Amino acid sequence: MLDNLLLGFETALTLENVMWCFVGVLMGTVIGVLPGLGSTTGVAILLPLTLSLEPVTALIMLAGIYYGCQYGGTITSVLISTPGEASTVVTTLDGYQMARRGRAGAALAISAIGSFVAAIVSLALLMALAPPFADFALRFGPPEMLAVMVLGLATIVSFSGEDRVLGATMAVLGLVIAMVGVDTGSGVARYTFGSVDLLSGIPFVEVMIGLFAVGEVLHQIREGAAAPIRARFRELLISRDDLRRSVGPILRGSGLGFLFGCLPGAGSTLASFMAYGVEKRVSKHAEEFGSGAIEGVAAPESANNAAANANFVPTLTLGVPGGATTAVLLGAFTIYGIQPGPLLFDQQPELVWGLLASFFIGNLILLVLNLPLAPVFAQLLRVPYGYLYPLILFTSVLGAYAISNNMFSVWVVLVFGLIGYAMKRLGLPTAPLVLGLVLGPLFEKALVQTSSIGDGNLLIVFTRPLSLVVLVIAALLLFGPALVTRVRSARSRPPSTLVG
Amino acid sequence: MINRAGTRVALALACAGALTLAGCGGGSGGGGGDAAAGWQPDGDVTMVVPFAAGGGSDRAGRALASAIEAAAPDVSVTVENREGGSGAVGYSYFLARNGDAETLLATETALLALPASGNVEFTFEDFTPIMKIAEDFTLLVVPAAAPYQTCSDVVEAARGQRVVAGISGQTGLDNIVFSLTENHTGVQFDRVAFESGSELIAALLGGQIDIASLNPGEVVGQLESGDLRAVCAFSEKRYEQAALQNIPTATEQGIPVSFAQFRGVLAPGGISEEQQAFWIATMQKVIETPEYRSYVDEGYLQPITAAGPEFVDYLNSNRTLLEEALTS
Repeated sequence: MLDNLLLGFETALTLENVMWCFVGVLMGTVIGVLPGLGSTTGVAILLPLTLSLEPVTALIMLAGIYYGCQYGGTITSVLISTPGEASTVVTTLDGYQMARRGRAGAALAISAIGSFVAAIVSLALLMALAPPFADFALRFGPPEMLAVMVLGLATIVSFSGEDRVLGATMAVLGLVIAMVGVDTGSGVARYTFGSVDLLSGIPFVEVMIGLFAVGEVLHQIREGAAAPIRARFRELLISRDDLRRSVGPILRGSGLGFLFGCLPGAGSTLASFMAYGVEKRVSKHAEEFGSGAIEGVAAPESANNAAANANFVPTLTLGVPGGATTAVLLGAFTIYGIQPGPLLFDQQPELVWGLLASFFIGNLILLVLNLPLAPVFAQLLRVPYGYLYPLILFTSVLGAYAISNNMFSVWVVLVFGLIGYAMKRLGLPTAPLVLGLVLGPLFEKALVQTSSIGDGNLLIVFTRPLSLVVLVIAALLLFGPALVTRVRSARSRPPSTLVG
Repeated sequence: MINRAGTRVALALACAGALTLAGCGGGSGGGGGDAAAGWQPDGDVTMVVPFAAGGGSDRAGRALASAIEAAAPDVSVTVENREGGSGAVGYSYFLARNGDAETLLATETALLALPASGNVEFTFEDFTPIMKIAEDFTLLVVPAAAPYQTCSDVVEAARGQRVVAGISGQTGLDNIVFSLTENHTGVQFDRVAFESGSELIAALLGGQIDIASLNPGEVVGQLESGDLRAVCAFSEKRYEQAALQNIPTATEQGIPVSFAQFRGVLAPGGISEEQQAFWIATMQKVIETPEYRSYVDEGYLQPITAAGPEFVDYLNSNRTLLEEALTS
């Protein structure tokens, strides 16, 4: 273990590798900032440029892009309510509110610190315990994943504000949007109306750019020129109180992120939603959530970074990708002539440990880059909105086109921009819609697969122990608080007032 | 540090740019060796890959691009990923390139499977098939702890009990192979649909499914580690690669089923005969290059090629087989 770690740092600390690691995390940050260009696209686009490098150097750089994106995506989520990735959607809820109140600097700083701590915690877990975690993840077959999706949908109650029915309705709308396209189970096209572009479904990233970036711009224009946010320098820095409040959320977020990241599929997005939901439950400042609670930034940001690292657990130990970006990275292994699989740790120790050691270096670089820059980025909000929004619209449309070289993406952005605007005007919550959209395809897949595995019987989710445990947790999350308040009020009030 | 790294990247990009320019310059002046060919691509050629970067088609597209550059030094090839709809988006884009002989597409079985699914407007007759470059068969893979040692064991088991087969989609190669096996033996496998080879590998490792049919390139890592076992190959002959040569074919075990995903190159429809001839001649040279050899070896493919009209014949008979498997 120690020998391997030494070997890893020996590999990662050569001048060339440190330099490419730096290039990778810097590019990752930039790619994360640009709407539309997520880590998966970023790694895929830059992959061909790395073909002349040594495999380990190339992978260090590509992985740097991946986790660099997790830092970069936060910046736009906080400043202009435009998540660069699905996993930073939750950050907009409180991060953007903090920014509107002149606390963008603190929000960015805490997410950099949270991401860094999460990276170190998850790397330590990854290095020490990757094989047992991988075995644990393998036990999550379709019935267990179905239970996890139910758990994910149960977190909606944390995002619906006052009106839970409204929240649930928006989540269902998200599920419905997610149903468009070819159904993988039967190969039948649903709601595509003959359009080839719709065969692969309504593209998620474009929907997010529309709902968040374009929707917010339209909303601000309607509100009349938003005053530039002038914060005193002291308010831009993170305070001792902020740090104290964030310790718990960061650690819980890291743990949750790592757990969900090990599961193949929706890892980091689900992890960030769960982490936010949990904090809202346990926090003493629950009423501040949604209007700028620092815990609401610290927890999901730690969770998504921990999940990004945990994605490497199945990737490196089993040769099975943990998510979309690690799938591209696995493809890269093959292109460099390295066979990914369970023997990777034995056959390529220098590569694997060098890559893992580079994560420490890369995350350190990111912390050093992001922490001092947080107040600087926050100054961007001093720019009058009149200058800012053409820029946001421009990058949104450009980013949408860049994803697929296809005008269809641009139309999706514009249509969902209008929908996002309408939702803001009507006071409909956006987060449940996004959650439904993310979980929809996974939920459906798990449902159909569970039915096939159970030979048409869905009740196997109750007979398999792991899925039962997850379902019980989901039930507690949904009904637990209501039960607790019922019991409390029953005790405190005389029985006669209990009616209704 | 920032500046230095930036400068190096900039320098590298500038060098790459200069090289490309030099290549183009040579292209317009030279071409003496290809005097027989009446048509030459003028400028950059685009290789459309209808799937995302990092996948099997992407690997094929990139290997083909560098092999074409090696075989025809005057030509430079850029790879463009246009993914979506299991390939439908890329092929539909390609349909609109009708007549443009400077755009190629790295094709595979989706060319036949998509029209068979009834969701798209094209058939392969709308394009100009240039060359089939390789065939990618599948192996029947089971978890190491499973009792099955041969494909016949699996079929025998399916006569008495429920055998759950994971598939990667209704029109996937693996589903077709299972259907053909069922047609031959009269047994039934229960299907669970997944979305990719790697999901199937995870499901096998976790014991969620009993069998899966996977391309060797997808699963060779898990086979070497002993976590999974290949019990037969659905190919006409055994693989030559050392890691796979001990796997018997299904035919050897009395199940005469063989079905390959093909990989090849497609030009758009409506191009001239000269243009078609140029690409066929170029592809004939491509399959002699070391780039092509290493692609086939490292991807665990079988180098069964067919040019022009032979490729069309292959597509025709393959389509019949596919439709037979899908409707049964």
